[in-house]
Amino acid sequence: MTKKYDTPLLDELEKGPFPSFVTEMKKAAAKNPMAADELGLLEKSFRDKVTYWKHGGIVGVRGYGGGVIGRYCELADQFPGVAHFHTVRINQPAGLFYTSEAIRFICDVWDRYGSGLTNFHGSTGDIILLGTITDNLEPLATIFSLNGFDLGGSGSAMRTPSCCVGPARCEWAMIDTLDITYDLTQEFQDELHRPSFPYKFKIKTVGCPVDCNAAIARADLSIIGTWKGPIEIDQDRVRDYAKKGVNIQEEIVNLCPGKCITWDGNNLKIDDSDCLHCMHCITKLSGALKPTPPFGATILIGSKAPFVIGATLSWVIFPFMEMKPPYQEIKDFIRKATEWWSEYGKNRERIGELILRLGMREFLETVGLKPTPEMVKEPRRDPFWFWKEGDLEGKPWESWLK
Amino acid sequence: MDREELKKQIYTLIEQAQGKKKYKQMDVIKHFRNLGVPDSETKEAIRELVDGGKLIYTYMGGSYIELASKLEKFEKDIFK
Ligand code: HEM
Ligand code: HEM
Ligand code: SF4
Ligand code: SF4
Repeated sequence: MTKKYDTPLLDELEKGPFPSFVTEMKKAAAKNPMAADELGLLEKSFRDKVTYWKHGGIVGVRGYGGGVIGRYCELADQFPGVAHFHTVRINQPAGLFYTSEAIRFICDVWDRYGSGLTNFHGSTGDIILLGTITDNLEPLATIFSLNGFDLGGSGSAMRTPSCCVGPARCEWAMIDTLDITYDLTQEFQDELHRPSFPYKFKIKTVGCPVDCNAAIARADLSIIGTWKGPIEIDQDRVRDYAKKGVNIQEEIVNLCPGKCITWDGNNLKIDDSDCLHCMHCITKLSGALKPTPPFGATILIGSKAPFVIGATLSWVIFPFMEMKPPYQEIKDFIRKATEWWSEYGKNRERIGELILRLGMREFLETVGLKPTPEMVKEPRRDPFWFWKEGDLEGKPWESWLK
Repeated sequence: MDREELKKQIYTLIEQAQGKKKYKQMDVIKHFRNLGVPDSETKEAIRELVDGGKLIYTYMGGSYIELASKLEKFEKDIFK
């Protein structure tokens, strides 16, 4: 196909050292009329400083409430190729593992039924296929599902759960992030595909507190692998680090938030009872320090980007949960929490915002949890538990003071 | 209430609300809860209506349940 539109403004974005999305779009435009019109429309948008998309969150695949984000162009007559330009979200494999054959398959299907433009992967984690028409949605969903793929989540629903690469490649993984993600995805199919929540609900699972998936900042439910045993120390390797120029005192001891490491120039000591499980020392002295079992996860709730209220980080709910199949405890918790939120949440209110509005105390009562010191999020953000006489008879503080 | 009757009533509820009020799934469930219908039955009836193509989930800020015919009308109006 010959070039359809002149794109002097977009061409600017091909200059400079970085890879350019414009170059990639031009390649797609050479063989796909939808991509060609998208290129023309984008040039016009840049020139006019106006986006010409209608919000049309109306289309879907029969039986699915999510997975497709409807987009229609306001200049359909001028750019008929993008009159419909729906986005399709496909549930990514846990940890983003593909065979090249699988990726080719996805791209071939998309060249045929869509614009050929893709985004591996969107911020939610899904495979994002950009631009198709309503009539192609049913065949697309059928073809993908016959080949082992499914639509992801969108709208006021459970979003496609995602995770870090975990035990597949990483020595620090303390839980099987891939299996947990796959299992929860299967368990919550209905919640993924039939949007019945007040707003979105994201689950992200990472194998350790390094948090390569930013679960603590991006998920309504963050599952973060952690350990309960002592940190194992290989003193020879610590000395080796020191010899090679690591300033153990400055870089390790002084930066430990638990203030629980000492170094006498020859031996490193950690008071594990004061360790905050931040991973700092372990990642800095990789190979010399190692977390030991029991392994499990810290479960946190409520992080989100700014919207009704500003950005929030997740709040600890379970300091430690064993994460063994079939993961019944976390599943029961998710059901209880989302039922409470569905009942009381306002439209577009995330679960973390509802907890702030109605109080952590009410949330804990609903899901049947007792407050613990680990739930204190920061000064003046504690669960504000109001003890009843019965609670105090058991003298709960005694176990914390030990 | 028997399933077919419930489905008819859900459909009517959405149909009559058109242009006035948008129902989320939970709003529909609460509406019928007040009439004594268990949540699980309303949920199942909505599922059948959606799978049967009479109702669809739409998205405008949040997810709503609307008549499937709205899509056809919407798409017809794109070219003008
Ligand atoms: C213009 C005068 C005052 C203002 C505007 C004021 C404001 C406040 C505010 C906003 C807080 C809550 C802080 C928070 O929760 O983060 C607070 C706490 C408090 N105020 Fe005042 N205050 C005033 C005078 C006083 C006086 C005269 C006293 C005592 C004689 C007092 C004793 C306290 C105490 C004990 C707390 C609780 C501190 C804590 O929980 O650690 N305040 N005040
Ligand atoms: C009939 C008298 C009073 C009533 C009904 C009353 C009621 C309350 C209530 C409901 C709170 C909020 C508690 C919470 O959010 O947990 C509060 C906080 C507070 N009251 Fe009173 N109060 C009275 C008298 C006083 C007096 C005489 C003082 C000081 C001389 C005082 C100092 C404070 C302070 C400093 C706080 C803030 C505590 C904080 O947020 O850390 N109150 N009061
Ligand atoms: S979060 Fe931890 S376990 Fe997961 S990839 Fe990163 S370092 Fe490894
Ligand atoms: S993990 Fe963090 S808190 Fe624990 S000893 Fe290492 S640096 Fe200190």
